[in-house]
Amino acid sequence: MPLRGVVASLGLFVGWGWVGTGLLAWSRDPENRVGMLMAATGFLWLLSLVGVSDIAILFTFGQVIGSLFFVTAVQMLLSAPDGHLHTTFERRLVASAYVLTLLVLPLYLFVDPQSAFDCDDCPDNVLLISANDTLVDVFGAGLDAAALTVVVVVFVVLIRRYRGAAGAERRLYGPLYLSGIALMVALVATVAVNAAATSSDAANVAWITAMALLGLMPYVFLAALARVRVLQGGAVGELISRLGEAPRPGELRDALADALSDPSLELVYWLPDSTRFVDGTGRPFALPKQGSGRAVAPVEREGETVAAIVYDTSLTGARDHVRAVGAAAALALENERLDAELRAKLEELRASRERMLRVGLEERRRLERNLHDGAQQRLVSLALSLRLARSKLRHDPTGAETLLAEAGHELDSALEELRELARGLHPAVLSERGLRTAIETLALRAPLPVRLGPVPSERLPEAIELAAYFVVSEALTNVAKYADATGATVSIERHNGRVVVAVADDGVGGADPARGSGLRGLADRMAVLEGRLEVESEPGKGTTVKASIPCA
Amino acid sequence: MAITVLIVDDHPSFRASARMLLEAEGFEVVGEAPDGLSAIEAVHELQPQMVLLDVQLPDIDGFEVAARITANGAAPAVVLTSSRDVDDLGPLGESAQVRGFIPKSELSGAALEALL
Repeated sequence: MPLRGVVASLGLFVGWGWVGTGLLAWSRDPENRVGMLMAATGFLWLLSLVGVSDIAILFTFGQVIGSLFFVTAVQMLLSAPDGHLHTTFERRLVASAYVLTLLVLPLYLFVDPQSAFDCDDCPDNVLLISANDTLVDVFGAGLDAAALTVVVVVFVVLIRRYRGAAGAERRLYGPLYLSGIALMVALVATVAVNAAATSSDAANVAWITAMALLGLMPYVFLAALARVRVLQGGAVGELISRLGEAPRPGELRDALADALSDPSLELVYWLPDSTRFVDGTGRPFALPKQGSGRAVAPVEREGETVAAIVYDTSLTGARDHVRAVGAAAALALENERLDAELRAKLEELRASRERMLRVGLEERRRLERNLHDGAQQRLVSLALSLRLARSKLRHDPTGAETLLAEAGHELDSALEELRELARGLHPAVLSERGLRTAIETLALRAPLPVRLGPVPSERLPEAIELAAYFVVSEALTNVAKYADATGATVSIERHNGRVVVAVADDGVGGADPARGSGLRGLADRMAVLEGRLEVESEPGKGTTVKASIPCA
Repeated sequence: MAITVLIVDDHPSFRASARMLLEAEGFEVVGEAPDGLSAIEAVHELQPQMVLLDVQLPDIDGFEVAARITANGAAPAVVLTSSRDVDDLGPLGESAQVRGFIPKSELSGAALEALL
């Protein structure tokens, strides 16, 4: 039979073309499944060549998996350019094609003695249970109709895909889509010629045309790939010459956007100190999530991340090209990174200054309230009591004495409240007797047992002592108010050029540093000193407030 | 007949001192209220002849309370008070029923009677 010979010789050419091109594309862009599916199609094709064997079991196996390569090829075409099927419809289409080849086709083989090849000297079909011509006709017609439907739908989807493709997708995948469309047409023609059953020669011509198109597809893709490489190489070269002219801020982004033909391209810069990406103005940048159609390619220079290119996956194409463009621009990106870092620092300073102002205003307002509601009210009552006592002095001396005694208590309370207020403004014990004594005083005044860990006995810069004091004071106040703790531990240690203040309790935990003006106020004080405030407070595991302030 | 007074202030210590002082000087303190809305309610219920009204209250301020309780004809005489200075408060309002202002520390029966 001439057909089996043609299939065998054409087979290797087709199969290795797919495998080789697929592996090349896969290695070039490992995260993109298109290459993998291409290689898989080639392997499945080669595997199906055992169908020309004279050994019955191999022959039958060849028939069973004989169409699988077509399904992977369809999946590959529909998965371009990013390696994912795009819609539920496409996923269902591919899934039903798999069901058709892997489940329905074998059923057909149970009843068809001769299987796909209409030949007399073919080996036996080992799956044959009982030859049944009626069932063969029914199954055959059903399979043909289903396969035809799949082919026509894929044809329509591919035409749409080709029309919608722009930029890198059009350049790289356009020819592949076109050859896919041609293949679908050839397949429809094959089915039509078979149905008309005019001559087996015509059917063979249509079939061989389809297979030739299938065989050409990887080479078409390879040619597009080569052309894209040339274009990309040119783009990188042009980018390098543009960078030589020392681009102004903003121009670098435009240059990279041109090189990658992605107008939506964004550049973000890495800040190692605060371990985050910021945009060119220094504002924090949230990297896109996976599956959002945008991807992130980090740019490194001398082993350090300096920036990242955020790009549209459908426009820019393969990752290695983005990397190449990034590498070409690494030095310029490093310069812009320094700029962005400076801007981020300025922005941070501005925000912290604003917070300090706000905190200051809030503190003054709170102070006025406290004075008004506390000491002032007590003094008002005191004035009234004294006036009443004076009026009673003559005719009710005992009543006057009681009033005066009450007035004395009121005065004591007023004095205590004033002292408390003054301490909140500036703790005298701190400036006069140092941090250790001040912290001891705080520990003594707390309404729960406080264990003192190490606290430096030498003097530290005043601003740092004050910050440490307020961290301990605020944290202990919070412990007493909210933690429901049986005790707390306070320590202040000097460590690697930093002063680390820690207040831990054994209470209920669950404190949220974002809420509560007290903790936020502390965080702002820390920011001004370039320090950090961390609150660990898992529910049920107590709360640890830790402040770390640079101190030479 | 003693003059009936309602004391409105959010500080209990002031309400207690003022009650003691005014009762010692022959006033009848018929009630106390800690905020504006309960003050308006108490005025309707107790029909006092005078209301000693703190300017700063936790809900609505004293001026607003004064405006509301003097809205109908048979309104009590209102005397505003505060621990702040009168100059820090701005204008006291136009109503004829608002008789004047006494700083908290200068409160006395005589001062109150002078405004009635």
